[in-house]
Order: sequence, then C-alpha cells, then structure tokens
Amino acid sequence: MKYLTQLAIIFGLCLVGDLISSLLPFAFPGSVVSMLLILLLLSTNLMKEQSLGESADFMLCNMTFFFIPPGVSIIRYMDIINSIWWQLLVVNIVSVITCFAAASWTVVLVSRAQKALQRRRHA
Amino acid sequence: MLEILSSPLFGISLSIVAFRIGIWVNRKLKTPLANPLIIAMLLVVGTLAVFDIPVEAYEEGSSFILMFLSPVTAVLALTIYRQRKTLMSNFFPVLLGTLAGSLAALATIRGSCYLLGLDRTILASLLSKSVTTPVAIALTEQFGGIPALTIASTIITGLAGNLLAPVLPKLFHIKDPVAHGVGIGSCSHALGTSKALEIGEIEGAMSSISISLSAIWTVLLAPLFF
Repeated sequence: MKYLTQLAIIFGLCLVGDLISSLLPFAFPGSVVSMLLILLLLSTNLMKEQSLGESADFMLCNMTFFFIPPGVSIIRYMDIINSIWWQLLVVNIVSVITCFAAASWTVVLVSRAQKALQRRRHA
Repeated sequence: MLEILSSPLFGISLSIVAFRIGIWVNRKLKTPLANPLIIAMLLVVGTLAVFDIPVEAYEEGSSFILMFLSPVTAVLALTIYRQRKTLMSNFFPVLLGTLAGSLAALATIRGSCYLLGLDRTILASLLSKSVTTPVAIALTEQFGGIPALTIASTIITGLAGNLLAPVLPKLFHIKDPVAHGVGIGSCSHALGTSKALEIGEIEGAMSSISISLSAIWTVLLAPLFF
C-alpha cells in the first residue's frame, strides 16, 4: 500500500503540474512545472521526502530505461531524416559539445570569480 | 502469433530484456562508448526488423513506459532537494552557466545550419532542440518548423549527451562536479540527466535543475537567433 500511495502522490502532483502548465499564458511543460512544484513543497516542509520515497527512488535509479521508447521512435521519422541525416547528426553533436563546454566553463569561471571576491572582502 | 505480440506486455518485456543486455555489455566492455541505452535501442529496433514485427505492436507496450517520462522528470526535484546546499552556494554559477550553454547551443545551431546549407524551415525545427521536448515543440511551432524533425533531433541530442557525458569533462578539463552537471543538463535535457545521475549525486542534481533553467533561457533567447 505504501508504494501505491507514493505513486498516487507523484502522479497527482504531475496532474497538478499539467493543469498549471495549461493555464500558463506561454508554453512550458507540465513535467518541469511539477518538478519545480515538488521542489517548492519539499523546501517549505509542506511535504516530506518519505511521501515520494522508494517509488521516486525506483524511477530515478532506472531513469535511463524510460528513454528506450523515445529512442526507438526515431525510426518513425526516418523518411524526414533520410535526406539530411548526416547534416542533422553534425548539427546535433557539434551543438552538444559547444553547449557543454560553454555551460561548464562558465560555472568554473563564475565560481572562481565569486571566491576571489569573497577573499578580497575578508582581506 | 501477432495477437501475442500486440499485447502491451510484449513491448515492456522486450524493453526490459534489451536494457538488461545493454547494461551487461556495458559492464563487460568497460567503456562509456558501449552505452546501455543505445545498445538497448538498437536491440529493440533489430528485433523488430529481424522478426518483421510492426512498430505499432511494440508501441502497445512502450506507451506504458512513455507514460512514466513526465513523473520521472518531476521526481528529479528530489535529487535537487537532496543537494540544496550545493545549489544555494553555487546559485550564480549555475544560473549563468545555463545561460551561456543556451546561448552557445543557439549560436552553434544557427551557424552550422548556415554552413551546411540547411534552409530556414530546418533551422526553425532545430533551433530549440537542446531543451526538453515539450518546450522544443512549442518553439518549433512558433517559428513554423516541422515538429517531427524537432522530436527526432531532441532525441538524437539527448542520446549524444548521454553517450558523451562521461567523456566531455576530460576533453575540456572539467573537474568540478557542479560544472559537469550543469554542462550535461544544459546540452542534453532529461536524457543526458539520466546519465548524470549514474555519474554522481551532485552531477545528477545540477543536471536536473539545468533542465528547467536552460528551458527558460531558450524560450527567452531563441527568437533572437531566428
């Protein structure tokens, strides 16, 4: 029963997220709204970690598994991909690499700058 | 025969078996390039092709797995909550890191579409592909692109992120787990994040929060690149 209750809470919060998302004046996914909503409920102590408990951890531990169906669904789009497949691969892979480099190096540089500022303040 | 195959249990079992084999091969070969998700995907596609099973039969079951994608993304909140101290002490680096990542992705897509001679409809379909699928589709519709092409690109991008996540920090000399996580989440949404969770708790949490932040940045900035 414990697991069913946890699942019901998770699914219920997803439905609330979808509802909020449908009311927003701009497009923003329900799943991400639910994520921010759960984060808010946990941080304000309105909900405890145990309420999501093992069911949430089960999903997180096996998260990769849930992406097999979308991966397989690429074959449905083959007729669109076929004519530009290598260009598509180049654009996607190159942008993943530049985006990773820009994001991670910005984190490194900004935190270095922050630490330098703090040190100067203490000195 | 076909009646048994169109039971939802077929698609679910096939996915689980394929995933088990993917994990087994990955452990045997001990290289991140033997990616369990990509192996599992190829095994499913291969099985369907060899036995001439229609994709629709597989989708009877896979739609149940697909239904879990939204709850799985939502419970990523738990990983962020568990690392809330790390997030609070790295608030500005994370905020600016996701901004830089989104700008770099948009600029690269724009530039490489131009260099490869892809037309404006394709650019409209690819511009938003670094972020989570629902946001990406909404932006594509706004720019007048082809949603199916966006979905395919979002998945290819996610798979590339999932595959490259363990390799990229070595290439760019990134040692900070916060930077690593933000990098993965910015470039490859929830699909890359599933790999970040396997790498470490901090990486997973930072990648999770980056999904939502980079989605917000991309919604705001994408029109400037179209």
